[in-house]
Amino acid sequence: MYRYDEFDHRFVRERVAEFRDQVSRRLTGALTEDEFRPLRLMNGLYLQLHAYMLRVAIPYGTLEARQMRMLAEIAERWDRGYGHFTTRQNIQFNWPKLRDVPEILEALASVEMHAIQTSGNCIRNVTADPLAGVGPDEIEDPRITAEVVRQWSSLHPEFVFLGRKFKIAVTATEEDRAALAVHDIALQIVRSEAGETGYRVLVGGGLGRTPMLARELRAFLPKRDLLPYLEAALRVYNLHGRRDNKFKARIKILVHELGIEEYRRQVEEEFARIEHGHIAVPADELARIGAYFAPPALPERTGTPVEFERMKKLDPAFAAWAAQNTHPHRVPGHVAATISLKPVGGVPGDATAEQMRVMADLAEAHSADELRVTKEQNVILPHVALADLYKVYRGLVAIGLDAPNRGLVTDIVACPGLDYCALATARSIPVAQAISNRFADPARQREIGPLAIKISGCINACGHHHIAHIGILGLDKAGVESYQITLGGESTAPAALGERTGPGFSYDEVPDVVEKIVETYLKLRETPRESFLQTYRRVGMEPFKEVLYAEAH
Amino acid sequence: MPRLIDRDGPAEDRWTTLGADDALPASGAVIVPLDRLEEAVDAVFDSAADSGLELGVHVPNNADPLRLRAGFDRLALISVEFPAFADGRGFSLGHRLRALGFKGRLRASGHVIADQFAYLLACGFDELALRDDVAERQPVEHFLKALKRISAGYQRGIPGRRSILDARRAARQGTNAAPR
Amino acid sequence: MAKQFKPVVLTANDLIEGDSVFLGPRGWVREVAGARVAMTEAEAEGLTARGREAEAGNLVVGCYLVEVSLEGGAPEPLLRRERIRASGVPTITYGPAEVRERAAA
Repeated sequence: MYRYDEFDHRFVRERVAEFRDQVSRRLTGALTEDEFRPLRLMNGLYLQLHAYMLRVAIPYGTLEARQMRMLAEIAERWDRGYGHFTTRQNIQFNWPKLRDVPEILEALASVEMHAIQTSGNCIRNVTADPLAGVGPDEIEDPRITAEVVRQWSSLHPEFVFLGRKFKIAVTATEEDRAALAVHDIALQIVRSEAGETGYRVLVGGGLGRTPMLARELRAFLPKRDLLPYLEAALRVYNLHGRRDNKFKARIKILVHELGIEEYRRQVEEEFARIEHGHIAVPADELARIGAYFAPPALPERTGTPVEFERMKKLDPAFAAWAAQNTHPHRVPGHVAATISLKPVGGVPGDATAEQMRVMADLAEAHSADELRVTKEQNVILPHVALADLYKVYRGLVAIGLDAPNRGLVTDIVACPGLDYCALATARSIPVAQAISNRFADPARQREIGPLAIKISGCINACGHHHIAHIGILGLDKAGVESYQITLGGESTAPAALGERTGPGFSYDEVPDVVEKIVETYLKLRETPRESFLQTYRRVGMEPFKEVLYAEAH
Repeated sequence: MPRLIDRDGPAEDRWTTLGADDALPASGAVIVPLDRLEEAVDAVFDSAADSGLELGVHVPNNADPLRLRAGFDRLALISVEFPAFADGRGFSLGHRLRALGFKGRLRASGHVIADQFAYLLACGFDELALRDDVAERQPVEHFLKALKRISAGYQRGIPGRRSILDARRAARQGTNAAPR
Repeated sequence: MAKQFKPVVLTANDLIEGDSVFLGPRGWVREVAGARVAMTEAEAEGLTARGREAEAGNLVVGCYLVEVSLEGGAPEPLLRRERIRASGVPTITYGPAEVRERAAA
């Protein structure tokens, strides 16, 4: 993975010193709160319901063991012993004090981490396929591109005060594991007919109040044109995006109002005008960055993994976990193993300092020192040999993170919601816990099959409910929590936004509502292999609506 | 409190900003609002005698740079309004004006905070005219100190600013990194 | 029909700590029970003015008025959001305590 050189180190150190100075100018009043707010947001510091919240960047979701250990230390020294992994592959700490933040940032800098631009109206954490470097189906490691974009977007002087947040994602496979369709700009690495590697560029996706799927901006962009093209796209947005209304300020609105043809025309015109040679990444720099993402030296293990097969027979729980939580690896005899941070009844995406340390140890011993954070708020050990998988499993059992539920009904995504967030209109975490407890039985979960439930505690949709098979949106109706249900959302291609079932439900009704939906699916599916999403696409909303509103007023 | 600053510190403001109804003087340096630009250009450049007037224009941050381009060789200064420091359109407008070939003095006017000064300079601005209330809270020292905070940036193609990517390559090749 | 004035307290976040705080008779307190209650529009304006002073003094940020009920004696916020905020903690058990609680169950 990428290693900082002296220039990267100096950059983050200077940023920490700058923030220290900004804090002291805030305390003297040289900066008003209005002026300080975007500055602290650009260092990832929110003010929430109960305390400040620090969002630490985990570039393209990749961590090494020592970094995970530092996150554990931060949780213990300056927080309340835990952190929360987010839907954009970052981590959040919920209880830092403002005066401690410069020290926390210094601790992060010591392990090549930071909180730069994880919030604010700027380019945010560049996310990527969490199985980068693992999937047999990838053209090249998308994190090389993600790292190039990360550097280019860090304190880009022209784009630090955009109209709104700007999110970029990168993949390199046909299967979209990074939700490209709902990003402001998305890059899919593709090969042209001539065999040249380049990008399919999408623009204008986004969730929130007005969810929209991205449109294709360029079917093929040669690699060398990446940064000049991004500059052109951002410049047109910065100049012409709306500034009059916070809820109309994302690029998706600009693309929608101009039309994709006109937006594209303006981008291509600007792109033609830019001096590419001045902006583009030099080939040797690209090679330098690429070298950091060379695959780890994993011994090919062909032949039957005897120990693995033996333990599956001896320990059925391990067999169930291995069946559900692993993904094929390009190197024979290896898998990527998902550590579910969704124990039944637990807080989705949270991990204690102790759990983080164990995950770090497991990564160091059994996953080439690497971990990945997913947008489903789980953690992946990307390079585990089957021969070592049982050891990993036992390590997870010891810390209660052995739930065999990747992608199943209890693998729920939930934003922090009204328990933490100043923007929330309803609670989300206890709703997730109640649903999870309702479906605790592992056999029942397996019977139901793949079912993505995502819960957002307000219209900002940080829980990504629009792209969930069952989406739950918590609103406030005259002081009472009311939960709207959407069905049929999906983030991988063909992406879809969920459709509303109808009127909302109360906090107490939600687990029953989910059960009714699940039961309806089980009754209607043609075979046990037909997934919820497949059934929904075949039968539509009507049967579900009927069941949910059967005793309608 | 000095209100005009550039990268070296407080600067003497020799420009007078004209209002909608102020008469054009015979000589000096005047900044006119955008809707008086045509009138001012006519007065300054179409008379037989040599005009002693230097002309500047003040534009909103959503002005069309292409429409200004025709007047580039008549304008010694363009002032771009920064109505709110969080409104970053001016940065792209400044970049565009330079990219289109404006060689005169580029001024940012309004609500800009110290931490944005480096971005202004990187986007082609030469100077910053601070709003009074902002200038009162943020002494010049804050702005100059802020300039030194980030020694290099990642982005290439920014005149007068060292890019990390180019410095890296220079370091690899064993030559001296290009100075700022 | 004039809208009935509901008693209010003034809340904000402590600038350095980040905690929710309430304006009491002698300064800012962490417990809403210790907050000064405004019973009239004029008193509410008085609270707001003192809040603005505290903001200008860089002590707190984000002052606003919270409607409260006085039925239990001490002020209690009416809205769920404000009750959660006043409690200072999430409604759920969190962190290592949550892991322990689930393991014990």
